[in-house]
Amino acid sequence: MAPSLREIQQCFIDAVLHEQVDPASIVANGRFPAARRLQLYRNNVFESLTAALRAVYPAIERLVGDGFFRYAAHEYVVQHPPTSGNLHDFGNRFAPFLAAFPPASRYEYLPDVARLEWAWHEAFHAADAQGRSRAARNVASGAAEVPPLDPVSLANVSPEQYALLRFQIHPSARLVASRFPVAAIWETNIQTDNDVPEIDLDAGADQLLVVRRDLTVEVEHLGPGEYALLEAMSRHEALGEACKAALAHQPDLDLVHCLQEHVRRATLIGFSL
Amino acid sequence: MSGATPTPSTFRARPIPAAAGIGLRAEHYRELLAARPAVGFLEVHSENYFGDGGAPLHYLEQARAHYPLSLHGVGLSLGSTDPLDRKHVAKLKRLIDHFEPALVSDHLCWCSVGGTFLNDLLPLPYTEEALELFVAHVAQAQDLLGHQLLIENPSSYLVYRHSTIPEPEFLVEVVRRSGCALLLDVNNVYVSSRNHGFDATAYIDAMPTRAVQEIHLAGYTVNVHPEGEVLIDTHNARVHEPVWKLYRYAVARLGRRPTLIEWDTDLPALEVLVEEARLADAIMDAHDAVADWDDESRDAASSATQGTIAETKGARRKANPTRSARSSCLES
Repeated sequence: MAPSLREIQQCFIDAVLHEQVDPASIVANGRFPAARRLQLYRNNVFESLTAALRAVYPAIERLVGDGFFRYAAHEYVVQHPPTSGNLHDFGNRFAPFLAAFPPASRYEYLPDVARLEWAWHEAFHAADAQGRSRAARNVASGAAEVPPLDPVSLANVSPEQYALLRFQIHPSARLVASRFPVAAIWETNIQTDNDVPEIDLDAGADQLLVVRRDLTVEVEHLGPGEYALLEAMSRHEALGEACKAALAHQPDLDLVHCLQEHVRRATLIGFSL
Repeated sequence: MSGATPTPSTFRARPIPAAAGIGLRAEHYRELLAARPAVGFLEVHSENYFGDGGAPLHYLEQARAHYPLSLHGVGLSLGSTDPLDRKHVAKLKRLIDHFEPALVSDHLCWCSVGGTFLNDLLPLPYTEEALELFVAHVAQAQDLLGHQLLIENPSSYLVYRHSTIPEPEFLVEVVRRSGCALLLDVNNVYVSSRNHGFDATAYIDAMPTRAVQEIHLAGYTVNVHPEGEVLIDTHNARVHEPVWKLYRYAVARLGRRPTLIEWDTDLPALEVLVEEARLADAIMDAHDAVADWDDESRDAASSATQGTIAETKGARRKANPTRSARSSCLES
């Protein structure tokens, strides 16, 4: 009996992802053996998915080199093939994959660099501060419109309610922390010039805000208090709780200045009571 | 795109002219917007604009203000036994509603099974089961999108043991049963004809003329193996001469059609794409000149009305023995 379409497709995909699966039961031989024909598809699939990972993780590729990157990408594709036809989602588990990938274990900073690059990728495609309708209208029907933050309306909030304010952070904002100087590692390795300066891995920890300002994704260093503040706000904590967290990390933080700056630069784009 | 739902499109609904167009790629955003080359339309991969905001959508909005648009998809996976991915369809619908493309297309292929997607246009076995499933998915997608789909013929490197229906026949049935249109990729016809040893002109002859609403042209790569050559549809080079020849044949048979120069990897300078588009335009213009000249001769010999001229023109092209004879040496 002829195999069903599903059986044929399952056999095809298994044979692409796992070389030991023989496609001869579904593919006609002709001038070329079935396995050789399937190899063409295998090449296309791994080439295009490796290219997709390379586009999201250029610094990782530069750090490990082309050969190692291809090897890691191949393993990643086999373990975590795409789960949708939207390639923007592909590669979301590359950082934890690298953390558990024995050949990369000597390079402890790699997963953190990967997390930074994924944050950059997400920020690049995230909704705009105004007109989040693009995202909301047909896809996430529960998502609310994002109003621009009007400083005047903020001034109208009575002081006794300040602690209850919940700020809305820019949809593209991502927070990345590492015990390594990942921003410097990343920045050095997305440059195309050949001279790579030495980076001292003990140069200190990084606490970073990745956010799209206008059309450009920025990677910005934050102090410990500022990081804790934004981190609490991204969890929708009220201002009172967020300030408590910030001061716990940095008692001398100038909270008012910090808030003003992030409102002015539209990291914070709205609030509710 | 800000404001309450549903925002009416700010773009004039513009039909795509029967002229050559080019793909819009990120590397060319700024140059294209500054130079605004005279091409008939722009085409993008729909999935590249599935993000929620930022630069891609910003530049597409700018470009859309000056050009008609075609949305070309690679991820609907219409031939998959998995159900249609509603999230994917919703994202595509969001793009259609906002950008009002003249054409929306995807492929005669499948990409996923059991929720695992391969980023490739995989060939279907051409069986009655696959036909029924594909037709059902096309019809469902068209309903959900509120837009007709153009289905593109694939390039392929293998045939299945269990295929029973020739590919052109399969496509004709898909059109007949689902009401979709066709995107005739002339490069794919050529690549597959070389890989599987069929007659490329006969394939084009089998296409239902009116259903073909767009043509694709691209460059391929020749892989040399001990057993012989395999042509790979790589979209990384200028259109090869045999494909231009086949395109001339297609234009002679179908008439002018919106024709895209597809180029996805090793992207050249924008002007190279525009040059290739000019070549396609020249072939369509040459066809028009011949057709006009034929019509004038015909006019002189008869007192036919405009309407009957149009009809006889169609009939003539179909039955033109000179063109068929000339094109049959394509395969040599």
